[in-house]
Amino acid sequence: MKKKKAIVALAGQPNCGKSTLFNALTGASQHVANYPGITVEKKTGTYRYNGARVGVVDLPGTYSLTSYPLEERVSRDFLIQEKPSIVVNVADASNLKRNLCFTLQLLEMGARVILDLNMMDVAERRGIEIDCEKLGRRLGIEVVPTVIKNGRGRSELLEAIHRASNSRKRIDHLPVEYKSMEPLLKEIEEGLSGEKALIEHYPARWLAVKLMENDNGARIIIRRSHSNPDELLELALKKRQEFESMHGEVPERHIAYCRIQASEEISRECVMHSAGPAAATLSDRIDRIVCNRFLGPLILVGVIYLLYYLSIVQGYNVTNYTWPFLAKLRELVESIMPAPGFIDEPLMRALALWFMDSINALLNYIPIFLILFSLIALLEDSGYMPRMAFILDRIFQRFGLHGQSTLPMVLGGIYVGGCAVPAVMSCKGIPDERSRLATMLVIPMLNCLAKVPLYVLLINIYFAGHKGLAMFFISTVSILIALPVAKVLTLTVLRGKETAPFIMEIPPYHMPTIKGVLKRAIERVWIFIRKIVTIVAAVAVIIFVLLQFPGLDNGRKAHYDAEKEKAIAAFYKKTLDNPYVGQFCEKELMALILYWDEYKSAKMRANGKEATQALNRKFEKQNPAFFKIVRPGTDRAAKKANRAFKKLVKKRKGLLREIKKERIDNSFLGQIGRIMEPATRWAGFNWRVNVALLSAFAAKESSVATLGVLYQQEEDGETLESRMAKGETDFTPLHALALMLFMVLYPPCIATMIMVKIQSGSVKWMFFSLLYPMVLGVIAATLVFTGGSALGLSGLQAMFAFYGLVLALTVAMGLIKNRSEFK
Amino acid sequence: MKKGLFLIGLMFFGLFQAGQSIAHTPLCSCYDNGDGTITCEGGFSDGSSAAGVEMRVLDSSGKVLVKDRMDEDSEFTCKRPDAPYKVQFDAGPGHLVEINGRDIVE
Repeated sequence: MKKKKAIVALAGQPNCGKSTLFNALTGASQHVANYPGITVEKKTGTYRYNGARVGVVDLPGTYSLTSYPLEERVSRDFLIQEKPSIVVNVADASNLKRNLCFTLQLLEMGARVILDLNMMDVAERRGIEIDCEKLGRRLGIEVVPTVIKNGRGRSELLEAIHRASNSRKRIDHLPVEYKSMEPLLKEIEEGLSGEKALIEHYPARWLAVKLMENDNGARIIIRRSHSNPDELLELALKKRQEFESMHGEVPERHIAYCRIQASEEISRECVMHSAGPAAATLSDRIDRIVCNRFLGPLILVGVIYLLYYLSIVQGYNVTNYTWPFLAKLRELVESIMPAPGFIDEPLMRALALWFMDSINALLNYIPIFLILFSLIALLEDSGYMPRMAFILDRIFQRFGLHGQSTLPMVLGGIYVGGCAVPAVMSCKGIPDERSRLATMLVIPMLNCLAKVPLYVLLINIYFAGHKGLAMFFISTVSILIALPVAKVLTLTVLRGKETAPFIMEIPPYHMPTIKGVLKRAIERVWIFIRKIVTIVAAVAVIIFVLLQFPGLDNGRKAHYDAEKEKAIAAFYKKTLDNPYVGQFCEKELMALILYWDEYKSAKMRANGKEATQALNRKFEKQNPAFFKIVRPGTDRAAKKANRAFKKLVKKRKGLLREIKKERIDNSFLGQIGRIMEPATRWAGFNWRVNVALLSAFAAKESSVATLGVLYQQEEDGETLESRMAKGETDFTPLHALALMLFMVLYPPCIATMIMVKIQSGSVKWMFFSLLYPMVLGVIAATLVFTGGSALGLSGLQAMFAFYGLVLALTVAMGLIKNRSEFK
Repeated sequence: MKKGLFLIGLMFFGLFQAGQSIAHTPLCSCYDNGDGTITCEGGFSDGSSAAGVEMRVLDSSGKVLVKDRMDEDSEFTCKRPDAPYKVQFDAGPGHLVEINGRDIVE
């Protein structure tokens, strides 16, 4: 047997400050994972006390400890199997009676419990006085009053944990008396008494009560560990029937009733209400407005809009200020890598920059997340969140979702422009497994902000006359697809998943503290960074290989070399007698090109007149000869050199672009695009569109740019629209509509995918969340393209037809009833 | 083992995915070429090109003077208006950058 270190488990009902206590104890040393195979989060951490390391596990907040639903089972299994040294039962002091039911269950399980009476401030404000000493005596455990959110009682609690984990005292009195049931319980206990190993592990009394309740978990334990399980289970069943026929009451009801009665008794003895209930009604008064039938939804819409506006819209604006720091970081990497040639980039450099771009792109989320998580923590701490779920549950339930799916859906972009990563991350608040997975799986179909530029481009070209209409279509069609899809998922693949009835306790409102909110927000951002960034870094390397290799053959390389020579020769010819250029060797020319690039990117970041002037001075000092060509001023010869040089730079850029395109077409990725053509043809995508789409997803390149490369330039200065319209003569609004719908359904990005893996705790669901929208996307695109062509519809007609179809589907799906296990 | 499977999976599917929706902060900056024209360069924070993005030059009353698109190099050059003006880089809702003409200097 290995020696275990001290483990403290935090258990308690929701909304009593359990997570706050967890943070207060563990600080930054936290680890969040899922319990194996399920979507319930497991938070662990450590702290030091008197030199000893203590492990902390934050169990899910639950109202009870039965083997159903999932969260309760997880908590219970942990308490039974892992046998933590100490269980800190966090309870809401202002609502002691209800919390005591939970405490009694813990005691029955034989756990060594410390009762943390948290939120004493709320209790005091309501005129509730608790005699902690008496309560402790009555329960036979230590009771510590705290206000964890501002640190009151923290050290006393730590001391109590320390004391309790060093004492060998066990609780031996019965926490609850089951009155008329006691003799029957005794008989079951006798049937267990011979099983030394079993009782060593599970208290006989607890097993007897659980068997009387016909609890599935207890039956499993008996089956596994009892020497004669059939006989005992039969005995238990007989005793159940005996009780029922004697008292005309179901045993589990009697048990629950006795527990509630015991809690009431204890709370009556130890709690005194000094002031009347006047103070307690502040929450009720607020609720009269916030949960009002008419005002409630209006306030809700306002809160949701504010949340979206502040985090997504304003968050993006903040990134304008934080981005330069990330750009600086990239430049630093750029400067230590080997310099690029005229047309060839050292592999090492390409990889390093690609890697940096991938990481930077994620770090750019941080301001958005910080705002978002602070606001969510604010909503959670204040107690508005459960009210929000309560108001919306009725609608969402029709689609197999849950009241608490609201927040994820809003963040994901219910109208236009959200972000799937925080949306999936916020799914963990949904208490029911089936809805949680369903929400997670449909979020990627919503309109994330990065999809927007492609929509705008296509609408400008193919629906120029009906821009507003087309934008409305694209903004709302995604939710109309997501809702019925969620319903179908819950009726099919998710049918077997556990659901929880919508029982939600509406806690009183609290005033959140700035410290608490910020701490929670920072903690969540940190988890995001640690979880996502490492994985994305690994994947970035793999994708790099897929895009980079096998590369160009020697013939094509020679062709581009010749083009390069031609361009350089043309430059020298034009500047033959130019005093500023004449003497440059090729090496110097390359240095000038790099100088120019550097100057321009520095300028991109410089804000305002003064910064630009400072920049100019800096570059002039660095290399006056180059500066003259880059900024010729009024000098005629320098101006001429500048013009010729700019032409050369443009030519170089063009060559680089061509090489890149050719390399992508030839790459492993490009080959996949070709293989897919027979299947995608029906959706109106030829192989070039496939490659463009694939590389748009794989490469750090917006779809707009990739599609731009796709339709070769024919004349200088021609716009992308005219090129697109001309380049592919058979490209019609139907093609564009099919492409847009495909984009709507396409899962947005690797970060989202990884988030799905983290939140669902399974690779299987990650793949599923990736594949089924793609299949749906191809089906929708095919329907629009092939169907629309067959019926001779125009793009706009097809748009209306499709919209009508999904609208009808949404309404129909809303009317089908989900089979529920709860009556 | 599970982790291995996960990584292989990512390798396979990652290529359909990476980066596409990663927070795109739109970037655009303009400078005066000193010859009566201004040039703007655009892009997105994830390194995406801004080719094809709509560019507008507006006067102080909001009237559109020039409307064009970013070329393949994500550049846009036009004549500098004499009166006060501003430049807009418009890649759709949530992707608008506006630059005041006063800040466009040589």
